[in-house]
Amino acid sequence: MIPRHFQIAISFLLLAILIAGIFIIELRHSEEVKTQQGLAAAPEGPEAQGKEETIRVLVAYDDDLALRWRTTQAFMPDERDLRARAALRAVLAQYLQTPSPHPLAKGADIKDVYFLNPDTVIVDTTAQFADGHRSGALLEEMTLTSLIETLNANVSGISKVKFLVEGRERQTLAGHADLVSFYPVSAVHELAREFQ
Amino acid sequence: MLWSKRVLNAGTAGAVLLCLLCGPGAVSQIASSGPATAAAPPATPSPTPAATGKPPAPEFFVLIDPSHGGDDKGAVLAPKIFEKDLTLSLARLLRKELEERGISARLLRDSDTTISLEHRAELCNQQHEALYIALHAAEPGRGVRVYSSILAAPQPAVGSFLPWESAQSGALARSNAVARSISRELQKRDFKTLELQAFLRPLNNIVAPAIALEMATDRADVKSLLNSKVQSAVAAAVASAVEQNRERLGARR
Repeated sequence: MIPRHFQIAISFLLLAILIAGIFIIELRHSEEVKTQQGLAAAPEGPEAQGKEETIRVLVAYDDDLALRWRTTQAFMPDERDLRARAALRAVLAQYLQTPSPHPLAKGADIKDVYFLNPDTVIVDTTAQFADGHRSGALLEEMTLTSLIETLNANVSGISKVKFLVEGRERQTLAGHADLVSFYPVSAVHELAREFQ
Repeated sequence: MLWSKRVLNAGTAGAVLLCLLCGPGAVSQIASSGPATAAAPPATPSPTPAATGKPPAPEFFVLIDPSHGGDDKGAVLAPKIFEKDLTLSLARLLRKELEERGISARLLRDSDTTISLEHRAELCNQQHEALYIALHAAEPGRGVRVYSSILAAPQPAVGSFLPWESAQSGALARSNAVARSISRELQKRDFKTLELQAFLRPLNNIVAPAIALEMATDRADVKSLLNSKVQSAVAAAVASAVEQNRERLGARR
């Protein structure tokens, strides 16, 4: 015979597990809804090209300072540069929605992406992307890591990434994160793991 | 021996490869002519005499960089609360804590002065400090974040020149060790810490062991960062970690 106080304790435990499970499912659902809503908040730009695909984007969450992989729908062209731009814009769309997990300034966008050589890519951003970015070492690192990892996940063969702002080199994104150097994708991948 | 900045050649995609020339006899030239000789932008005001002035730096000292300053306010933590002011007050406390432990310390700026990131790195490399500590403060989160550098595949030195973008490569192991010590000391004092290797300027450009600290706050709790007891506790933890690493840091001399 199981003592009554054990029965009560186990009942409470099971109830707590059940509530936690429901809470996690609800949380996951709401985040997926937000991810889908990100499509509607996509940066304005030319008509989408390519066929619609489900792609993985690494999204920054300010609430718990984490980066998490999410899936979203995006029109993905076959050309590498256009494909890279589409992937980057898909992750920016996550940040431009309301509420945003990691707000960026309105007008933050990717102007152009071009390959210096098959493994080195230059990402040209709008002025609003950098000028309107909140200042802070971690916030800036999270933005760049999210973009580089998303790029790496959706366009193969990239080993180095560099960011420009309106076609010009800038020292930092918003006072902290380096925009002068070429970011080695392998090192960024390690950094991203620290955030997950 | 002193490092001065020279342009070696143009790098990939027009990026200028700025290098550090190591050579004896350059000390008096740079110390006497000040920062203007180090290719500083003309508009950049002179940094504090604490960074460049005489007497010459002691054998072992820590160079504390209160990040931002002047026109560069850094993060705006609340109306009229700027990162640049917080970093300066923390820097002064850190200097005091280090000096109480018998460790010389200098501030890269001791007033509200604008110094560019490139110029900060130049000044550091001229000073030949045992350790460079950059201070930051920003949202969001709690506690203190401790950063050391991530280097892209370090480029090899060309003779006595070091590539500007990976000047930190020779000191990175010591930077990481100090960062770990600082994290441990902060944790002992109940600070939440996050230790990361990150792409922060100007860490990569500094020859000496170099780390950056970021005091973190949520918007609702900004006042806690202004609390002198909190700042003193952070400064004491950092100073204690530096003291523990004194031998490791001094070993390069």
